Amino acid sequence: MATAAPVSTPTGSLIDAQALMGIRSLELRARSVVEGFISGMHRSPYHGFSVEFTEYRQYSPGDDPRYLDWRVVARSDRYFIKKYEDETNLRCHLLVDQSRSMDYGTRGHTKSAYAATLAATLAYFLHLQGDATGLLTFDDQMREFLPARHRSGHLRQLMHALERTPTGQSTDLGAPLDRMANLVRKRGMVAFISDFLAPLEQLEKKLLVLTACGHEVVVFQVLDPAELNLGLEQPAMFEDIESGRTLYLDPAAARAGYVQKLEAHCAGLRATCRKLGIGYHLLATDQPLELALFGFLQDRMKRGRQFRPGARAAGAGGGA
Amino acid sequence: MNFLTPLFLLGGLALAAPIIFHLIRRTTRERVSFSSLMFLLPTPPRLSKRSRLEHLLLLLLRCLALLLLVLGFSRPFFKETPLLDPTAAQPTRTVVLLDVSASMRRAGVWAAAKERAEVVARRAGPADQVAIYTFDRTATPLLPFEEWCRTAAGDRVALATSRLSATAAGWGATQLGAALITAAEALTENDGKPTPGPREIVLVSDLQAGSRLDALQAYEWPKGVRLIVEAVKAKNPTNAGLQLVADSADASRAAASTVRVRVTNSADAQREQFKLSWARMGATGAVEMVEPTINIYVPPGQSRVVAMPVQKDARGLDRIVLQGDDEDFDNTVYVIPPTQQKIGVLWFGSESPEDARQSLFFLRRALAETPKLAVSVLARLPSAALLPGDIEAASVIFITEALSAPAAAALREQARAGKTLVFAPKSAAAGVTLGALVGVDGVAVTEAKPTNYAMLAEIDFKHPLFAPFSDPRFSDFTKIHFWRYRKFDPASLPDARVIAKFDSGDPAVTEITLGKGRLLVLAAGWQPEDSQLAVSSKFVPLLWSLLDLGGGTMGAPAQWLVGDTAPLPAGATEKEIRFTEPGIRDAKAGELSVRFAVNLDANESRTAPLSSDELERLGVPVSAPVETKTPSKEDKVLLQGIEAENRQKLWRWLIAATLAVLVIESALAGWAARKQSLKTEESPT
Repeated sequence: MATAAPVSTPTGSLIDAQALMGIRSLELRARSVVEGFISGMHRSPYHGFSVEFTEYRQYSPGDDPRYLDWRVVARSDRYFIKKYEDETNLRCHLLVDQSRSMDYGTRGHTKSAYAATLAATLAYFLHLQGDATGLLTFDDQMREFLPARHRSGHLRQLMHALERTPTGQSTDLGAPLDRMANLVRKRGMVAFISDFLAPLEQLEKKLLVLTACGHEVVVFQVLDPAELNLGLEQPAMFEDIESGRTLYLDPAAARAGYVQKLEAHCAGLRATCRKLGIGYHLLATDQPLELALFGFLQDRMKRGRQFRPGARAAGAGGGA
Repeated sequence: MNFLTPLFLLGGLALAAPIIFHLIRRTTRERVSFSSLMFLLPTPPRLSKRSRLEHLLLLLLRCLALLLLVLGFSRPFFKETPLLDPTAAQPTRTVVLLDVSASMRRAGVWAAAKERAEVVARRAGPADQVAIYTFDRTATPLLPFEEWCRTAAGDRVALATSRLSATAAGWGATQLGAALITAAEALTENDGKPTPGPREIVLVSDLQAGSRLDALQAYEWPKGVRLIVEAVKAKNPTNAGLQLVADSADASRAAASTVRVRVTNSADAQREQFKLSWARMGATGAVEMVEPTINIYVPPGQSRVVAMPVQKDARGLDRIVLQGDDEDFDNTVYVIPPTQQKIGVLWFGSESPEDARQSLFFLRRALAETPKLAVSVLARLPSAALLPGDIEAASVIFITEALSAPAAAALREQARAGKTLVFAPKSAAAGVTLGALVGVDGVAVTEAKPTNYAMLAEIDFKHPLFAPFSDPRFSDFTKIHFWRYRKFDPASLPDARVIAKFDSGDPAVTEITLGKGRLLVLAAGWQPEDSQLAVSSKFVPLLWSLLDLGGGTMGAPAQWLVGDTAPLPAGATEKEIRFTEPGIRDAKAGELSVRFAVNLDANESRTAPLSSDELERLGVPVSAPVETKTPSKEDKVLLQGIEAENRQKLWRWLIAATLAVLVIESALAGWAARKQSLKTEESPT
């Protein structure tokens, strides 16, 4: 699959996806990824950045004295308030597809397990940074919603919600985005994790709504390697996991057409994302998750540089 | 080709199964789940020609295996023109053993038995050989094989029927074992010609429990002879029997006032109350019962012994009759009052009968009187003249001292006429008489005195004199010591045979045959002076044995049974009499009239059926009776089919072929599967 290799395969010190999925606890999985990632960060040329910068502002009358940084007052006898620490805290919502099409996998684990681990990894990482993380799972309808919080126990609740088995008969990509736009008024970040194996007609409009609300959106398309190149050999009756529709298929004959159509689909999605300034990451389930995290942060850094002024301006307006 | 069980061909419908399975396999493949079919379009099935051919071969093999199996089960055979009618099997040699014992007299038994025997004769084919034997105590050929073969095929059944109708059930006991052996031997002896066909014995009998089978115990049943038992059932299974309980010869005289009889009742009897009474043959020929009757109660399966008092005015009362039984063939016992037999013994000697040191004393004591026998010992001095009356009455004449030459010659003549002389010289001086008795001069008799004592060493136990002692328990004569004896050379006596010798080798008992009679020479007497013989336990039996040898006692058994042969005393027109039915038999011997009470064998009353397991246990292969059914035309065709199929046994080859095909099929299928899996493994690279 030549289309989307978001991150070039780096060193062999990363945890193999299959080995990682062998860990039963989702939290442990997420922690393994993040800790491996952080330990790798020291060698990274990009160390020293975070999701948001904290900043001090000189106290001016009218500001809430609660937010005065007393340590600075004690040190320098000057009044500063930690204005940005609170304001710039990221509110990240993870939109995780739990439709039944995610319950497919040929590498020992399913896409949904991979997606859940990815979501957990992001949540854990953000939690470590002190960011609030929320979760919205969906299939053909909304399943679970956890508002973004940074609280002890919240992460565990989130993990628990992620461990649910996919049940949905179909995937409605638009509805959760609508819901997101309605529920989350505050600007924040939305990580949209799905296989996007659904019609994309409405997607662009919904994503536009989200970006228009000021949300920063990142799209993770999780696909099984077998889905990328139709990696099946025997002619057989193929059964759609979601709808139960069956189809007689000889993979050898159908492969070329399939790959072409899938590439077109993915290219359409990518084009939409580019148009809306949304980060797009295609993840095959056999790729190490660190790479996804790495790509995600790298991408964000680039985009942070690109959009910083706007974002900063927007962020300043939403002070608590 | 024909089929013995064509219904199995319906199994051929199972051929559809592999074809259907192959079709099903082609249409429905395995199902594979896939996340989304939104980018997929159905493709037509793609089949390589080669794989289709392989599958076709497998299909063919599977169909072939099924077809062969179905053919095998339907038992095919090729019709062949039968050389012989298969129903007409090889000629059979059959012996019909027809029971004519007394128990066959029960109601309905004899007629049924005769009919069964006739059926066997009628069933026989022209090539078959049938012999009919009747048996009770012995088996007698009624229609031997030779006669059957001699008779024209058409007349055989008529001959058998006429012979059978001339026969009736007798009164004898049932010696089944001996009869079976006779029949088996009649079947096996075949003038040296082997008979290819089966040999069988058809036993037509009531198979009563009283049948004696002991003869079979020592007999090895010939191979290939099978026994078909045609058991005839009596109408009334219940039967009570009456038997005389024989008194021993030395029973007290007081007991002679009663006659003891045993009443047995069969195990499945319905009656328990019976009456016993004396009876006589009336003037009209009917049996008259005489009062009083004794009521007795015998529960089923048990027996009672009843002492019947002998009637005082018992004129003509010669039988005891049991009343109240269903089957009356065994309900009468014939009783005659015991008669005392008188035997005379003549003694030539001078000793006093009261002198306990002399032989005559012991002789008198030893031959004591019994209720059945009275021996009178007549002692005469050696010098006394021979009286014809004395000699006539004497069975045995003892001589212990020297006789005058004329007396000895006269006695020799008597011996030649049939008398038995016993010469037991007291001293060597009496030895002169030995030569005179034998009729040879110069027989030297000397006195022998062993240093310690002499014993009897070599005894001929086959001789009637010592035959009673032949049992090892009684044959020890070494306890009897002889202090002295008379020695002579037996070679000097014509026709002399030494029966017993002393341990020194000298003759102890010598028998010299004189015409019809004999002279026994005892080298030592039994008086204490000579030996311990008189005080030994062997003395009395030996004396009675001597009397038997002289023809004095008739050795009569306790009671006479049907089938026994009794010797008649001298003077009768015949030597012996054979009893064929129960009753009182009179025989005349000169002026002497002898009566015999002949009774039925007690075993005949045991009429409970004998289990055929008993025969099997004795090694006789018992088969079930053959159905007398003539096969119809369809049956014949079927039998021919079975015969041909049995001979050809095509099913074995078909089953073998099925197995071979299945092996090839498995190998081929395995090979194809292996090849397929190799192909799929290779293809991803």
